Amino acid sequence: MSTTTAVPETLPPVAQRSDASYLDFVEGFRAFLLGPGADFEKRLNRAASAEAERRGQPLANIEEIKPFFESLPLTALRDRLVRTQQEMKWHKVAQSFGMKREELLAELSAYDSRGPGKLELDPSFERAPYANVHFHLQPGGYHKDELGGFHYHYGTKVFFRGENDRDGVQSKLVSISPLPADGKVTRILDMACSVGQSTTAWKQRCPDAEVIGIDHSESMLRVAHRRAVMHGVDVTFSQRFAEDTRYPDGHFDMVFAFILFHELPVRIIGEVVREAARVLRPGGVFTIYDFATSKTMSPYQLYHRYFDARHNGEPYSQDFCDYDLTGALEAAGFDVRTTPPGGGSGGAGTTQGWFATRRSAS
Amino acid sequence: MKPEEYQRQTPEGGTPIVSDHPVYLRDPVLDATVRMVVELAAQVWVDRERLLTIESLLDELGVVTREAIEHYHPSAARQTAMKAERDRFVNDVFKELRRIDPIA
Repeated sequence: MSTTTAVPETLPPVAQRSDASYLDFVEGFRAFLLGPGADFEKRLNRAASAEAERRGQPLANIEEIKPFFESLPLTALRDRLVRTQQEMKWHKVAQSFGMKREELLAELSAYDSRGPGKLELDPSFERAPYANVHFHLQPGGYHKDELGGFHYHYGTKVFFRGENDRDGVQSKLVSISPLPADGKVTRILDMACSVGQSTTAWKQRCPDAEVIGIDHSESMLRVAHRRAVMHGVDVTFSQRFAEDTRYPDGHFDMVFAFILFHELPVRIIGEVVREAARVLRPGGVFTIYDFATSKTMSPYQLYHRYFDARHNGEPYSQDFCDYDLTGALEAAGFDVRTTPPGGGSGGAGTTQGWFATRRSAS
Repeated sequence: MKPEEYQRQTPEGGTPIVSDHPVYLRDPVLDATVRMVVELAAQVWVDRERLLTIESLLDELGVVTREAIEHYHPSAARQTAMKAERDRFVNDVFKELRRIDPIA
């Protein structure tokens, strides 16, 4: 459905109007479940407070919170409904785009070699087992379906409650990200760029810079390239891992990672941090937006984070929220500034920013 | 995507993910019932959205065709009104959730 903005529509329509209105329902239902509509958060936090008072001590961690919440019938119903809306979303997105499969694949092929910008796919690319996960319950995860990029783009439109189909989330985060203190921005690397919304936002903010988006998923990169061409934005999309970018030392002035880290095992998180330190020049900035640390979470948010990990295809997210990312960045040679948690991550959790400046070798 | 693909995931550590069809309520029949209720609500909304689209087309053009319904692009103001109508619909159907006392 169109709006009055001049930004080109890059998200393909689903096959029929009834599919769009079905997904519109899911978007509204999701907002109701996870927001003030159903009011789970406030009521379950009150229940946790009452339980803490009864015990004479707070529910200290997820090991104490989980059995308490799971003993409440309301939590069971909440969990059923949250899981159901996610299943409904992916089922309908995949079913509807599946009806247009040949058309969409032909369109991707038509854009692959078109400019501006370029698409670098690696025919010998070897997938990492850790990435073989159906993240957020997306069928086939990020790479097993050739239409995965389209699925993801429409899925995140629903996830971000309609704010993502025009790239609003990414554009806002890019616009508030700090640049290096000396103002020099020649090259920017967008790690795990998915469908490239932040990649093009960076090019629009820094038009003289070379901007490269990398991702392990071919289907994401093809959709990203198509989208950038449709916007007329000259960026490169390249099939590479964030933990092994194969770019030279000190090559970039900026590295950006939006909601990447919570989808990595702890082992890989450390590797990505060290890789970012390697490819950034001294004074360069590594900007990260991701789930907030669990230290700042209420009992309900801690429970939802656990639920999201176990029941919503996010196996690494709980470990990430318990991980000391600031400490890892400092150990890798960064000076770190963080933002207070805020803003929704599409669920009950919140997000925060890490702005990490590469120290000079001395 | 074949259903067995879900079982072929290979996460490295982290929180173990549940099986493909988890049961949250006291028995699978209750889970299925809740899923059917939500699915039915979605289908009702699909029909209501179509009816509202037909009404808009009749207001604007005085005539309705299947193709016009399929390709109808509401104005920004109309879209905002439709989102508000959708949110009212969801609230009306699911407001019972707010009435459950968590510790009753």
